[in-house]
Amino acid sequence: MLKRTLLGAIAICALTIPASAQDAYVVGLTGALTGPPSSTYAPAVDALGLYIDRVNAAGGVNGKKIQLILEDDGAQPSKAAANTKKLITQDKAVLILNASLSSTYAPVIAETQAAGVPLLFASSVCPKSVYPPAEPLQFCTTGFAANYDSQATLDFIKARAKGPVKIGFSAMAIPLSRGEIDYAENLSKEMGMTPVDKEVIPPPTADYTSFATKLKDAGPNWVYSWAPWVTQVRTLEALRKLGWQDDYVAWGHLEAESELSRLKDGKFFVVNSNALFQEALPIHKEIEEAAKKAGSKYPAATMAEGWIAGMAIEAALKGAGWPADPAKLKASMENLKVDTKGLRGGPIEWTKDNHFRTKLYYRVYTWSGDKISRVQDWKSYDVK
Amino acid sequence: MQLLINIVVLASIYALIACGYVLIYRVSRVLNLAHGELMMFGAYLVLACSSLFAGHPVMALCAAVILSLVTGALVYIFLMRKMTGEMVLAAILTTVALGILVRGVVVLVWSSQQQYPAQALGISNPTFTLPGDGHISLWSLVLVLTNLAAYGALFGFLRFGRWGMRMRAAGQNPLLAAQRGINLHGVYALAWSLSTLTGALAGILMALDSGVTGSMPVIALKAFPAALVGGLDSLGGALIGALIVAGAEVLLIYYVDPLLSDVVPFLVLVAMLFVRPWGLFGTREELDRV
Repeated sequence: MLKRTLLGAIAICALTIPASAQDAYVVGLTGALTGPPSSTYAPAVDALGLYIDRVNAAGGVNGKKIQLILEDDGAQPSKAAANTKKLITQDKAVLILNASLSSTYAPVIAETQAAGVPLLFASSVCPKSVYPPAEPLQFCTTGFAANYDSQATLDFIKARAKGPVKIGFSAMAIPLSRGEIDYAENLSKEMGMTPVDKEVIPPPTADYTSFATKLKDAGPNWVYSWAPWVTQVRTLEALRKLGWQDDYVAWGHLEAESELSRLKDGKFFVVNSNALFQEALPIHKEIEEAAKKAGSKYPAATMAEGWIAGMAIEAALKGAGWPADPAKLKASMENLKVDTKGLRGGPIEWTKDNHFRTKLYYRVYTWSGDKISRVQDWKSYDVK
Repeated sequence: MQLLINIVVLASIYALIACGYVLIYRVSRVLNLAHGELMMFGAYLVLACSSLFAGHPVMALCAAVILSLVTGALVYIFLMRKMTGEMVLAAILTTVALGILVRGVVVLVWSSQQQYPAQALGISNPTFTLPGDGHISLWSLVLVLTNLAAYGALFGFLRFGRWGMRMRAAGQNPLLAAQRGINLHGVYALAWSLSTLTGALAGILMALDSGVTGSMPVIALKAFPAALVGGLDSLGGALIGALIVAGAEVLLIYYVDPLLSDVVPFLVLVAMLFVRPWGLFGTREELDRV
């Protein structure tokens, strides 16, 4: 009797689990949820989960819920590959998300391309393969982007500098950061600036003062850093400890808002493609309430990237209809316009050839008096 | 002058961490590969204590230091004690597992984001200008002084203290020590406590100076060559080894290439292994035991 009951229960489970999975849009994510670089990705993934929960609570998309399956790759390429394979073959995900270091891109791209499943880079830096002419299956919502960020930053420096610019650079010893800083160094020469030093700092480092000493002794009046936040801010703090008081500009990662308030440094500028929460837009309040309600351990101010990815996924699934398969989803993503409701300077717009966005918008913030203030409003750049 | 300060600060960081490796190895022949994680845990304990003792930074710091000491003892009592009499390799692998566990706990409790204990305690980190236009931050200075005090206290304790002598005896011949009535478990627990304390002090002071993230344990790996260069069973050797490694690192960053900073400790280690595999102040006999 017991044996028959158990067999019956197993049979019911076997029938119901796939049925419930097929009754929802399955979206799989491989991300650096743990490990050293997870501070950049985990808050965004948390925000994405909150957004999906909110969509599901409101009835889902096309009357169907979204099932978000998270897999931790710890920023390890081999784990990312295994996760992607599992998400595609076992979970039957119609869309794969990557929220991890660039070292995981190659295996994830290989797996998704082999299976013909669209891949969205959400909170991980946009690879050039999403720029026009884009790879057919790759898309990106992330705010920061190679080359364009440095162009916007150096334009800002040129506009703000009162005299000749002697510029120093700081990067983390990872391929993406080094490549971008090399690009910025060359661009600075073309723009009439004088590069004086470039520090490529291995992660993690016990004491940044040794690197800052060399940078300071080169005599820059501006320093630009495009690297994970820890390198950007610790280089700045080390320079300040050494008595260097000139202008420092960095990319505005998730931590930028709380860090500007912590440092209270009027000569520290962050270039950002997301509006900071101190702007207090209705969408910011919405995110803050969702984070508070869910008891998230991450500050709402770090959640814009994940929220924007959620908006894009919702819009893409809506366009794909039900039932969705990877081909329908790809077609939907190739013709997508997402209103970011002020989180960015404009909409995210994808076309057949451009899976990044048609226009990029940058704002620059600093600490002024007793609050964070804008020093440059949205400035747009065409993506060609 | 600034280069000299940079060398002294970095050497102090490495020395404070390295003496934790030496203490445990010297007493129990175990390489504690969770030392970096326990160091990081000490830094996070400051965050926990800052909310428990809001508005009382000194009390919070004292509580974190005491908790670090207790953590070391608990690690021995609940984990490493079970490894007594087992193969040394089994004990080393246990420390690897402990490290993974601590990293997981830290992410679960404090998240993976950069945290600033000094901000949580409401204390600042002013910079002092020294003669020769050298600069040092308050917490870097405290770290250098703490390192000197820790080494002074440990030398005194091991040489003149009753429990210090017992530790030395247990390290030299545990069987004979046990037969003479020395409580080996008590000695080992004390070694783990002191080792965790010195590591935690390094973690706490680095965190007060520039914050803490889950990647802090990697710094302890760079301090490990300092212990090996000096001799894994020599406390004085750890201090000298730290100075050599830090000196090479700072000078190569400044005069050659910053990228070398990652490999310098290991280059120094390889050079030492060629010339004197048991380290500057280590004993040849100890190497054979390894």
